[in-house]
Amino acid sequence: MRQDQFSSRHEGEWQALGAWLDQARKPRQPPAPGACADSEVPRRYRRVCQQLALARRRGYSPMLIERLGQLVERTHTILYRPPNPRWWRAVAFIASDFPAEVRAHWGWMLASALLFFVPLLAMLVAVQLQPDLAHSVFGIEELANIEQMYDPSRPDRIGRDSGTDLMMFGHYILNNISIGFRSFASGLLVGIGSIIVLVGNGVMIGSVAGHLTGIGYGGPFWRFVVGHSAPELLAIVISGGAGMRLGFALIAPGQFGRVASLLAAGRVGARLILGVFVMLLGAAFIEAFWSSVASFPDWLKFGSGALIWTVVLAWLALGGRGRVHAT
Amino acid sequence: MLDTEALHETPEGIALRLRAAGAAPRALAWLLDAGIRLALFSFASIPISLLGESGQGLLLILLFVLLWVYPIAFELFMDGQTPGKRVLGLRVVHDNGTPVGFTASLVRNLMRTVDALPVGYAFGFLSCVIDPHARRLGDLVAGTLVVHAERLKHDLAIPSVPGFVPALTLPAEEQAVVVAYAERSAKLTEARQIELATLLPQLTQARGANAVQRLLGFANHIVGR
Repeated sequence: MRQDQFSSRHEGEWQALGAWLDQARKPRQPPAPGACADSEVPRRYRRVCQQLALARRRGYSPMLIERLGQLVERTHTILYRPPNPRWWRAVAFIASDFPAEVRAHWGWMLASALLFFVPLLAMLVAVQLQPDLAHSVFGIEELANIEQMYDPSRPDRIGRDSGTDLMMFGHYILNNISIGFRSFASGLLVGIGSIIVLVGNGVMIGSVAGHLTGIGYGGPFWRFVVGHSAPELLAIVISGGAGMRLGFALIAPGQFGRVASLLAAGRVGARLILGVFVMLLGAAFIEAFWSSVASFPDWLKFGSGALIWTVVLAWLALGGRGRVHAT
Repeated sequence: MLDTEALHETPEGIALRLRAAGAAPRALAWLLDAGIRLALFSFASIPISLLGESGQGLLLILLFVLLWVYPIAFELFMDGQTPGKRVLGLRVVHDNGTPVGFTASLVRNLMRTVDALPVGYAFGFLSCVIDPHARRLGDLVAGTLVVHAERLKHDLAIPSVPGFVPALTLPAEEQAVVVAYAERSAKLTEARQIELATLLPQLTQARGANAVQRLLGFANHIVGR
């Protein structure tokens, strides 16, 4: 068949599909004149695909092929677009999907927890025995700063030099959540980035805790951290674990190709990091508006801290158990 | 190797052509976005700074939003286009050509952390230059591409002239070249039309404007007028 016959025979279909495509992204408007019905589109799309294949095979002109190619591309984009995120799913995700995802990668989470908590506890003990160690981790000015933040003689606020609750909230959001994100992303450097972040943070937190406890500022310090420590520390552990899994997907892709393996790890990582984001958001809230209040009695501080630890651990251990696994 | 076109075969057996964008337009788009974010931050900081220290907290939250949420939100709700990409005519798509979704957008934007290492997006640039489809590391992990979004116009038609059948028989691909010439002829100057048509004396058996007429006539004959 000659090109002109071919074009004139199918011109009507192409214009109808084109009209539908022009209207497709504006659902509130009435259908365009001459556009085909929604239910017709998949069939029309398959026809245009076949016509494009014919046009290419028969060596029709580049303009015609380009035109059909664009029709196909635009329809493909709409027919195969991913579903819009549904916001009510977010609650279900946090309540059950996320803890299940964490448990599904328990090996990485365990490795990550060890890389974080072992240096933390080791430094905590080591600085008690050998107080000079704190000086090899922090400079003198940094130490003085930290000491000032937890000075027991300051009555009003713990854990900060100055600043209102809201200011510190912003500070925690920007810094802590960025750290959480980065400890996942840097896992792409064959896992080393995440390991550095985990061990580094473990050493720093352990040294601060050890130093402050050693010089007798332990009271305000532990009163400050006990509230938000559960979501914050566990979030760092989870994002580090997700990062190491990402790095390992690059080193040992197993039965996948390297790119396919990275893609899979990236998808898992995205889900984990969403949960980490929520945990760190909660931690920042507690840290800014609850942990810093110096006037609460010890039983309230430590009681609430224990409660938060229990709730977070129970959520991670039990959330989403017994749900139907959907993949 | 120099062609950045990525082919994706659809379930219908059609190869979609995705025109991947290189490092230069992407860097420009990023710079534009950076400028927009800086401007937003500066404007917002004027009223917020009146609130004192609490205002600083709001500013820090705004900074967080501009750093992490801005690209994801725009890519999700503006069909894969941040304002900078929109100006440059770029769009983020999945590697199957569909608009980028939430998971992929989240991953590719978190991975900026690694692409930005060790300084000034060096890893991202290297990856962009090495990869045949100019993907940075974040795109590789997320399974996305940045493509040129604007489409070519196809409103050119073959001028209608009386048909002409040359003595020579041409194979199909060469016939397609003649038709492509006829379609583009409206965009060429007359001198250029003549220059091209004169390259085929055996086909047209003519010179000058006459050769152009015969070549257009041959194209008319090929498409069946």
